[in-house]
Amino acid sequence: MPSSLARSLRTLFRIKRTEREMEREMSFHLEMETEKNMRRGMSREEARLAALRSFGGVERVKDECRDVKRNRPLETLWQDARFGARMLRRNPGFTLLAVLTLSLGIGANTAIFSVVYGVLLRPLPYQQGGRLVVLRQQAPLARNNNLYFSVKEIDDYRAQNRALADLAEHHSMAFTLFGGPEPERIQAAVVSANFFELMGVMPLLGRTFAPSDEAHGAEAVLILSHQYWRRSHKGDPNIVGRVFRMNDRPHTVVGVLPPLPQYPNENDVYMPTSACPTRSSERFIANRNARMMSVFARLKAGVSEEQALADLSTIAGRMKEAYPDAYPANLGFSLRLASLHKELTERAQPTFLVLLCAAGLVLLLACANTANLTLARLMRRERELAVRSALGATRGRLMRQLLTESALLALAGGALGALLAAWSIRLLVRFAARFTPRADEISLDNTALLFTLVVSVATGLVFGLLPALSLRRNLVPSLKEGSGQSAVSAGRQRLRSALVVAQVAVSFVLLIGAGLMLRSLLKLQEVGPGFDPERVLVMRVTANWSKYTTGQQYRDLSLRLIERAQALPGVLSAAMASTYPLNPFGLANGPNNVNFQIEGRPPNPNEPTPQVDYRVASADYFRTIRLPLLSGRLFTEADDAQAPWVAIINQTLARHRWGDEDPLNKRISFDQGRNWVTIVGVVGDVRQYGLNQEPTDELYRPVRQTSGAGNLLVRTAVAPAVMAPQLRQVVYSVDPENAIDQMQTLVSVRHESIASPRLTTVLLGLFAALALLVTAAGIAGVMALTVSQRTHEIGIRMALGASASGALRLVLRQGLTLVLIGLALGVAGAFALTRLMSTLLFAVEPTDPLTWLAVAAALAAVAALACFVPARRATLIDPLTSLRSE
Amino acid sequence: MAKTKSDLLQGTLDMLILKTLALETMHGWGISQRIQQISSGVLNVNQGSLYPALYRLEEQGWITSEWGSSENNRQAKYYRLTRAGRKQLDEETANWQRLSAAIEQVLQAG
Repeated sequence: MPSSLARSLRTLFRIKRTEREMEREMSFHLEMETEKNMRRGMSREEARLAALRSFGGVERVKDECRDVKRNRPLETLWQDARFGARMLRRNPGFTLLAVLTLSLGIGANTAIFSVVYGVLLRPLPYQQGGRLVVLRQQAPLARNNNLYFSVKEIDDYRAQNRALADLAEHHSMAFTLFGGPEPERIQAAVVSANFFELMGVMPLLGRTFAPSDEAHGAEAVLILSHQYWRRSHKGDPNIVGRVFRMNDRPHTVVGVLPPLPQYPNENDVYMPTSACPTRSSERFIANRNARMMSVFARLKAGVSEEQALADLSTIAGRMKEAYPDAYPANLGFSLRLASLHKELTERAQPTFLVLLCAAGLVLLLACANTANLTLARLMRRERELAVRSALGATRGRLMRQLLTESALLALAGGALGALLAAWSIRLLVRFAARFTPRADEISLDNTALLFTLVVSVATGLVFGLLPALSLRRNLVPSLKEGSGQSAVSAGRQRLRSALVVAQVAVSFVLLIGAGLMLRSLLKLQEVGPGFDPERVLVMRVTANWSKYTTGQQYRDLSLRLIERAQALPGVLSAAMASTYPLNPFGLANGPNNVNFQIEGRPPNPNEPTPQVDYRVASADYFRTIRLPLLSGRLFTEADDAQAPWVAIINQTLARHRWGDEDPLNKRISFDQGRNWVTIVGVVGDVRQYGLNQEPTDELYRPVRQTSGAGNLLVRTAVAPAVMAPQLRQVVYSVDPENAIDQMQTLVSVRHESIASPRLTTVLLGLFAALALLVTAAGIAGVMALTVSQRTHEIGIRMALGASASGALRLVLRQGLTLVLIGLALGVAGAFALTRLMSTLLFAVEPTDPLTWLAVAAALAAVAALACFVPARRATLIDPLTSLRSE
Repeated sequence: MAKTKSDLLQGTLDMLILKTLALETMHGWGISQRIQQISSGVLNVNQGSLYPALYRLEEQGWITSEWGSSENNRQAKYYRLTRAGRKQLDEETANWQRLSAAIEQVLQAG
């Protein structure tokens, strides 16, 4: 308000001053004229009247003056715009092509910018999100970079710290929710009551937790996450107050959250610590080594991350001294602190920035193309411009006219581009979700639209300035006939050639980027996963947590599921396992590392404890996924709870711990030697954590001797999707309170595991293809103009005896020279830039010679074709006709 | 782009104003007197139409104004040619001469 008031006041003041000055100036004029008339002999009155008459209507003059002062800048702009629009309408071909090219370039940039802004730049949707940090305890010597926290440790940090305003705990567990049509497995985040207050989150519906919710014995309450509320309850506005049954307790819904990025994992509901059976047990609370929770904290005002880390590390040091059993030296126990923003965005940064660069290059190409087209048009409009110049238009005025036309084109391209971006945003959000939890914050909002506007105007200036500056100061000589060979045309032709060279160079860089990604993707797909995923269906089965309390019960459940599944016709083999290869849960959380010791090798406190990725699998697991047995035997029915404990290891573990020695019949222990497990078989390696990750040390224990196998795998004779409903029935028939989720085929699991690089490749490929198209069009355009301009010259040559192919060679040579220069520049540019994308590549160097050669050849071929087609027209020149028309 | 006679006249008036100010700085009334003198009364425009032209030329940056006291100690607004204005005048003059020479050739040829 105040600023617009000030502006209005200033304008008013200016107007009043102008009025006063006008009045004074006119009265001066009239007085002088009056005096002149009086000197001629008229009386004062007659002189005055005569002066007024020869002046003309004073008010009318004042009005005209006011018009001049008021409308001047805007009036010409509006005139220019109207004129420009008319000119563009008269050339629909050019206008359409230009607008389309620009819209693709601007649209791509807007879309990628929305992603970059929404994820990397926008502040977190928490109050003062920049002060939020994530704490992490680590044992780097034990190769464990996330130890989590125990209740006692959190209490110590909370009580002794001086750098934090507050801290809150968070851990996630899976429970089964009853009350819907099917038992539903939900992921619940168990948090301290101050969690939402710490983050500064206001609920969408209802309320957040109060300290009373955390009290021992308090009624169990739930807060729903936004995604879960929309997905499973259709955004029911009356959800607050509904009661669900979970863990044999009623839980009342007290609130719904607004959309938020969920870290460290997606959770469906939130509950206070008192509602989690594990967390609220006395034994768990008292055990310093029972570590399960993550910790979020808010820095005090004015405290930096380094200061906070130093403060908290002091506390960690005190703990190490006070409780040496809980912190043995071979852990290398330490604390790490990172801003929440960094944790949410780190993984996405390299890919998104590469895509932004690519989009920027595509826009540059679009600008170069449009500049080229505009220059070509300018050559045809020279006559019109010359006439206007002769009749009084200044060079500045003409330049402004041309720039306005360019701005109109660019704005139209920008509007269309914004539409294209809006259409593609949903796909990009799904793509971004693989890299960051903040994907839901991406939208085509006001910032993105402002960006579009700025980019459009800048684009218009960039591609408009070049032709506008090429206007000579004196256009009148072009009025003469036959001025096509003037020096200006030659200069313009050089400019167009330079643009083509630039286009070729930029296209090369983009093509190299896309080519490298493609090669990397192909290498990734070639990686042998170590198992056969064909026709295997997997699903996660979650039992009702509170009903199954002993290991024996879980074992029996697993065995019954296998038995019933195996009995189905069409099922070749069925198995249960704690995980399966490329399991998305595993990809997110990493190995289930468990300490062990090898018989005959006593533990050495100065070395890191041996660890292994501990799995549970039923006997038929290996057969079901066709994991080859390399030596020894697989599990049998004889390996049950009464028999000696056995295990199967993978080849990596065998080589790592036993080298060339045969590991069969060697023994290891997981409980400091109280019980020993014999190794009975060695199987092949699988790529468990990604096709681009090396296999880890893996060990399998039979389901019959332990428990905890939550995934059902089934190899079918027919397409797995056909068997899916029957398998669901089987699972419910064993126990109707079982919850099933993550049902998919192993083939699609494998496909999903390389989704990120695949999508990145697709996007870069799209940009590169676009670039190639635009560049080819640019080359063809310049070549066509060359041919038409040199028609006369070629006609003479042919009349003097040159052959048609000779004419072709002449024209081709000119075009191909440009292409070669462009390629050379492109090579230099690509060399510099592709080093930046090495983090995205798998098993491929940025300077991979095969890719570079292939891309250079492809670009040269396309460019040559783009030269050839118009150049061929040179051969069709009839010397007689060309000589006559001049 | 001149389309009507008044536009053409406007262009001519502009040139005359610039030419007048090229010789010396003067106020509005002085300019009108000089134009009447130079054109020997042929260009008999209303004196008032001078002022919108002056204001327009000032907007375009070819002349600039400031208040001063006149011969008889009255407050008057004096106009002066800027460097851009001088350049503009030279260009316009050259263009005009070329165009009129071309037209004359056309008229003279048969």
